[in-house]
Amino acid sequence: MKWGSDLSTLVEKFRQYLKPGYYDEFDYHWTMTIDLDRCTGCEACVVACQAENNLPIVGEKRYARNREIKWIRIERYWEGEYPDVKMGFIPMLCQHCDDAPCEIACPVFATYHNQDGLNTQIYNRCIGTRTCAVYCPYEVRYFNWFTYTWDEPLEQQLNPDVTVREKGVMEKCTFCIQRIRLAKDNAKDDDRRRVRDGEVVPACVQSCPTEAMAFGDSNDPEAKVSKMMKDPRAYTVLEELNTTPSIVYLKKAHAES
Amino acid sequence: MSKISRRDLLQYIGAGGIGAVGGVLYSESIERDVELIIPQVVPPEDYSPGIATWYNTVCNQCSAGCGISVRIREGKAKKIEGNPVHPVSQGRLCARGQSGLNVLYNPDRIREPLTNAGQRGTGNFYPISWDEVLTTIASRIGRLKIENNASRVRLLTGRVRGHLDELFAQFMGLLGSDHYQQYDFTYPSALKAANKISFGIDQLPYYDIKNADLLLSFGADYLGTWISPVHHSLAYGHMRQGRAGRRGKTVQVEPRMSLSGAAADEWVAARPGTEGLLALGIAHILVSDGHYNGSDRDQWSDVLQAYSPSAVSAETDISEGNIRQLAREFGTSKAALAIAGGATTAGTNAVASAVAVNALNHLAGNLGQPGGIIFNSDQAFSATPGTRQAGMQGILDLVEAMEAGEVDVLLVHDSNPIFSLPDGVGFRQALDKVPLIVALSSFRDETTEQADLILPTNTYLESWGDDVPDPGVGFPVASISQPVVTTLYDTLPVGDIILSLARQIGGELPMAMPWRTMEEFVKERWREEYAMRESGGADQDFEAFWQAALEAGVWGQPGVMTGDQIVPSSSSTIAAITNPASQFAGSETDYPLVLHPYLSASLLDGRGANLPWLQELPDPLTSVVYGSWAELNPATAEDLGIREGDVLEVETPAGSVKVPALIFPALRPGVVAMPIGQGHTSYGRYARNRGANPMDLVSMQIDDRSGDLAWAATRARVRNTGERLQIIKTDGITRTLGRQILGPENDHA
Repeated sequence: MKWGSDLSTLVEKFRQYLKPGYYDEFDYHWTMTIDLDRCTGCEACVVACQAENNLPIVGEKRYARNREIKWIRIERYWEGEYPDVKMGFIPMLCQHCDDAPCEIACPVFATYHNQDGLNTQIYNRCIGTRTCAVYCPYEVRYFNWFTYTWDEPLEQQLNPDVTVREKGVMEKCTFCIQRIRLAKDNAKDDDRRRVRDGEVVPACVQSCPTEAMAFGDSNDPEAKVSKMMKDPRAYTVLEELNTTPSIVYLKKAHAES
Repeated sequence: MSKISRRDLLQYIGAGGIGAVGGVLYSESIERDVELIIPQVVPPEDYSPGIATWYNTVCNQCSAGCGISVRIREGKAKKIEGNPVHPVSQGRLCARGQSGLNVLYNPDRIREPLTNAGQRGTGNFYPISWDEVLTTIASRIGRLKIENNASRVRLLTGRVRGHLDELFAQFMGLLGSDHYQQYDFTYPSALKAANKISFGIDQLPYYDIKNADLLLSFGADYLGTWISPVHHSLAYGHMRQGRAGRRGKTVQVEPRMSLSGAAADEWVAARPGTEGLLALGIAHILVSDGHYNGSDRDQWSDVLQAYSPSAVSAETDISEGNIRQLAREFGTSKAALAIAGGATTAGTNAVASAVAVNALNHLAGNLGQPGGIIFNSDQAFSATPGTRQAGMQGILDLVEAMEAGEVDVLLVHDSNPIFSLPDGVGFRQALDKVPLIVALSSFRDETTEQADLILPTNTYLESWGDDVPDPGVGFPVASISQPVVTTLYDTLPVGDIILSLARQIGGELPMAMPWRTMEEFVKERWREEYAMRESGGADQDFEAFWQAALEAGVWGQPGVMTGDQIVPSSSSTIAAITNPASQFAGSETDYPLVLHPYLSASLLDGRGANLPWLQELPDPLTSVVYGSWAELNPATAEDLGIREGDVLEVETPAGSVKVPALIFPALRPGVVAMPIGQGHTSYGRYARNRGANPMDLVSMQIDDRSGDLAWAATRARVRNTGERLQIIKTDGITRTLGRQILGPENDHA
């Protein structure tokens, strides 16, 4: 085969890649919905993520210098002043944007969009320019300033399904891609073409004590997330930036009277 | 060339491998036992590389009794999730529960029995063998038993339920000592006492938040720390968005916004200590405005006479209109429920406040109704949880006995009174009068540090046991705990320690407690229970049942109501209504502020402080990690000229601590709030010397009717020391600044 023909296939593929809506036609589009009327800000999801994805214990001194690594965090916003003061919580994690600013920025294509609509990070390819973190309007990319260690024997807890990252690498929420892989493998083993709705449950969604979060394939109109997305309370954060996030929030309802 | 079969080849590779590694490991192998190659060939049970196994057991991070599933890979615990079939947790789990892995794999666990070699309190401990330590204790206790002095042996534990509780009771009973008591700071003693008065049932009821339309919470942080947070969270989610077209409303009454306060539609910052008065004020309107029309309306009217809206408004600093509106909503709501907890039930009139809240439930007619209070009278497994909770009075009696030299041996298990009680109790000083202190513990907390002998216990993830949730869930439930990994160190399950002590002490004990291990004991008891319930059930049937119960981790009979839902008469509640306003220690002129200690959502009463995941978990409302702080309302702070990060000296009649100031918008002016949980002087590398313990500030006052510690009834003053300390927090800008982050329209900032 000639070089030229190969290249034209690639160019064709790349054009498809750039075409908005490509992933609607293609396989899965993993989506998460978070109902802020159920969310209490309890942070069970934060610890669930830490346990599942081998997030480091960064220590007090490094915390003081904003070296925290939390793939999902709870943001808090005050409204009003005492005594009519209200607190609004919103879980913030990688939005897995369909038009992700971070993907454009990476000079080595360490972050890219996979066929499932996931914004993925290839640790081996990352050279640590941290450009993606600057481009991300949601501030959900975390840089490993150090190679973190675990006080023995805490390292025995580490999840063998997930890489332990080292110094110089950017990391962020993966939508628990290891769980997606497992569900796909199981579906294949059962001779099913597709994963059933509810078969993939990321750690944060699994733990949520108020069942505020749902996860699934928004290409499937029968999926729970597809139904949640039709709720009149549904919105995306920083919509005006046209990042088309894969995380849809349902805003908090107000009491009648 | 001879043909090499595949099997032979594998053997050669194996042998070569051993040879090659053998040389490298030679120096190590001198000291170590022979490394076995058998496990590589015959894997242990349930061990297949790459495949995760899940074991069901019970969480022990708070008193809720959530069922958990632990993911095991290659013999190591990897993750804890809720047990999906357990009625309390229903597959969900809170941050504390998930951090149980940090308990199991904590670097600061006690790994072998220790003795202080006669130097108590110095922190110097030396290893000692199990044989020696058990013989020492057994001979000491045995001698006391022979001398008929067994009452000089005392056992103090944390919250213990299920058959471990029975084992302790049996052990102490056979010795001839009736001094077995439990102390858990978070146990809602006042609420239980109030419910006994109101409903005549000596058990915590089930609060059916799930089906309520209006939840009125007086100080109870039901989503964060109160009784069963995971179960309440599930109920809350359902109440908000689980019923089409019917969204439940919540109102939270408390001086400092908690997690539940943040979730509430309305947050009412009544003057601290007057929450019970507000409840009576609402009750007054319910009766006078005709929302309540029961036959005992006149009696209610009489007893509530004094609590008119104007009088209550003056005391609580809540406007009359607001009180009337709360009453109207409560009275017209289809399913209204009122609960009490936190600081509301930690004043000098804790029981009176909880009774006042019970009055609202009487008037709402929600007793035994969906969305109301469901009684758990007849529990599963004949265990009655919570009956051994000593409360503060029990602790004071113990301190008195120790001071009087009436205690020769004190056994402490999983309880840390030195940390969680004010110094005014004198627990630590009283320990000096006890000749032998034995700690049965996994960690060297403040109380364990004072022990002469430390018996290291297995963590809950390495132990057998069972549990009956308290409060129950409205139908009979019992859970089994089983070890999910093999024991990490030279430690023993606490039940096994008690059983081997019983064997060594001799007398009638070995006959009456013939079980070798806790596992044997638990199984035996379940066998008896099974035989009782399934009359004539054959033994092999039990084995099948036992296997199924182990696999599920829980046994239950949904649909079987435990209590015969008799609506208790209102007369006892009416008779018990008294002015519930709390009395504060310290004069208002000397101490202009009110101290409001609150349970940390992550560290709880301090037991979570040694877990790095919880230390690094931002506090839900302030986002602070590592360390403690004192909160002030912006107006109060401005009056005093205090900025965030100024080190304050918070002073009360009981003592003073130094702690950085945090300006917190959702706090009543004139209140200084501090989280409980930090300020450990021991308890491992993650907890030690971090922050301050607000219990050092609490004046020793108790509620007369429950004997509970009134830990939210102390006045305080603050002084700016001029020092500065960085408060480590993750929050940046805490206003949305028009970015509509919380959704369109929601944004008023």
